[in-house]
Amino acid sequence: MIGRATRWTLLGAGVVAVTGVGRAVARRRRRHQPERQDGWYVVHRGVTVDRPRDGVIDFWTDRERLDRALAGWATLEQLDGGRWRCEAAERTGGGRRWRAEITVESPGVLRWRVTDGPVAQEGRVELVDAPQGRGTEIRAELRYRLGPVRRAFGLAAGDEPDLALRDTLRRVKALVECGEVVDTRRDPSGRSPRQERATDKVREKLATGGRA
Amino acid sequence: MRALCWEGVGKLAVRDVPEPRIRADGDVVVRVRASSVCGSDLHLINGYLPAMREGDVLGHEFMGEVVETGPGVRRLRVGDRVVVGSVVACGGCWYCRTEQYSLCDNSNPQPVFTEKLWGHSPAGILGYSHAAGGYAGSHAEYIRVPFGDVGAFRVPDGVSDDAAVFASDAMPTGWMAADFCGLKGGEVVAVWGAGGVGQMAARSAQILGAGRVIVIDRLPERLATAAARLGVETIDYARTDVLEALREMTAGRGPDACIEAVGMESHDVGPSYAYDRVKQAARLQTDRLVSVRQAIMACRKGGTVSIVGVYAGLVDKFPLGAAMNKALVLRMGQMHAQRYIPMLLERLAGGEIDPGYLATHPLPLEDGVRGYELFEKKRDGCLRTVLHPSA
Ligand SMILES: NC(=O)c1ccc[n+]([C@@H]2O[C@H](COP(=O)([O-])OP(=O)(O)OC[C@H]3O[C@@H](n4cnc5c(N)ncnc54)[C@H](O)[C@@H]3O)[C@@H](O)[C@H]2O)c1
Ligand SMILES: [Zn+2]
Ligand SMILES: [Zn+2]
Repeated sequence: MIGRATRWTLLGAGVVAVTGVGRAVARRRRRHQPERQDGWYVVHRGVTVDRPRDGVIDFWTDRERLDRALAGWATLEQLDGGRWRCEAAERTGGGRRWRAEITVESPGVLRWRVTDGPVAQEGRVELVDAPQGRGTEIRAELRYRLGPVRRAFGLAAGDEPDLALRDTLRRVKALVECGEVVDTRRDPSGRSPRQERATDKVREKLATGGRA
Repeated sequence: MRALCWEGVGKLAVRDVPEPRIRADGDVVVRVRASSVCGSDLHLINGYLPAMREGDVLGHEFMGEVVETGPGVRRLRVGDRVVVGSVVACGGCWYCRTEQYSLCDNSNPQPVFTEKLWGHSPAGILGYSHAAGGYAGSHAEYIRVPFGDVGAFRVPDGVSDDAAVFASDAMPTGWMAADFCGLKGGEVVAVWGAGGVGQMAARSAQILGAGRVIVIDRLPERLATAAARLGVETIDYARTDVLEALREMTAGRGPDACIEAVGMESHDVGPSYAYDRVKQAARLQTDRLVSVRQAIMACRKGGTVSIVGVYAGLVDKFPLGAAMNKALVLRMGQMHAQRYIPMLLERLAGGEIDPGYLATHPLPLEDGVRGYELFEKKRDGCLRTVLHPSA
């Protein structure tokens, strides 16, 4: 029997793992400086999932479903009662790996911290009942810090983490609501391999944002 | 397999492409038996709906036979003869659960473009560009249908392929257009556009209780077909002042409900049309608005304007003042296929609606390019070309 805190942690791990944090800031974009607090960039994002709070948490008790959700790019290891270690590769390839530690703060709130990765980063996820019986709001806050070199090259100047976080939340929502994240890459087409690669780039921009 | 692909603005070709396979638990693969052209394809082919990529397989109005099912599929079996809604819906989000399927939250995996353009992303649509999810379309021997249990419906025996195919798109769109009008019985309903969608809207309005239906177009054979098949009155907008005619036919009131089933490439006579075309060609406006303007001007005070013709972006000279001061109700949207298809299949089987006559040009897939030419130029009385990939 998996405890409630553990299930909750699995949800958080799902969020963290799907985010692909390294990738999130490795992209540049000049518009919209994110808010800054004590040297951290801070972004907030939320998504509404059409299931009650318990439903959202319970979804992650199904180990098989979770493994499928994390397929390939993340592993979870329990450190002690409320702490987990998550190790993941960037979702879109590139081979970069990163580790995060996840801590359950209270029922409905958890934090994570990247312990080994390209950027200093931490985050917080909270579940809140949505009004009018519309299910559950998953609210996330992401903070990250960049070194001077990255900043000089404009890598810091982006709302990309914002978009990546939104993409993550969208994926989590889809998994809970309909059990899959739709993927149309490599659907049949009359494209040559070169055209297909170019189209994959367009798809990624359309899926996650960023400059086309 | 063979498939009809988009090759650039105004260019199509039938090519060899890889076959689809099951990729998610809810997927089914359908062997396409009939796949129709639709007015929306013209907007895609001509580059007015954005985000098409070279090699994209077109087609979204189709029916066929289930040949493979994913492990999560419960309702369908291999061998089922099914019609598939054009709109992809997950079945599990709030919009799907409230039967607003074309607004599904989870079926467009590439939502950023439409989020930027429209604020939020509606559902994905099969064979309908990368802005609508980048799904391969149905003008092919086989197609992968995601969420098969939600989107594919068994066709009753006795309903022919070339009739059932229209339960995919033209019928639910027409039905929704009439449904939007909130008819109570006896109303006068005017329908702009005598294409497949307009004709199905006219028939649906009759079934839902309209007292009189008036169809507006300029193509004599389409108007004649509508009059003969449905018993509607018609107006040829190229020869008649539409607003005058409607006012006169309703003794000054104007139609109680106006359905717009033309879309962004609407055509007109006169100088303002030339102005609109130039602006659209230069992409200063994305849509031409002739028929929407007329519908708003013609509609009686407090009436309903129901728009199912497709629009993509920004328009010019939208008569907001008329709509506001006449207290009009404006309804619009992409159709909620899955909400209407089961009911429409029953009506089809019962003979209450017979859309088979829309399939004026049944052709093999190999003739797809010619099929679209016939449809776009409205040659040879073409209402809809229906491609038969397995023929
Ligand atoms: N909302 C939806 O879900 C949905 C679904 C399917 C199609 N559509 C849209 O419906 C529209 C019609 O589709 P269709 O397949 O019937 O197309 P179609 O091209 O066969 O028919 C359009 C008709 O409109 C006529 N027309 C052009 N300008 C006109 C004007 N100013 N006044 C009156 N008639 C005019 C044309 O002569 C033609 O007969 C398209 O915009 C299509 O994209 C919407
Ligand atoms: Zn269509
Ligand atoms: Zn949905």
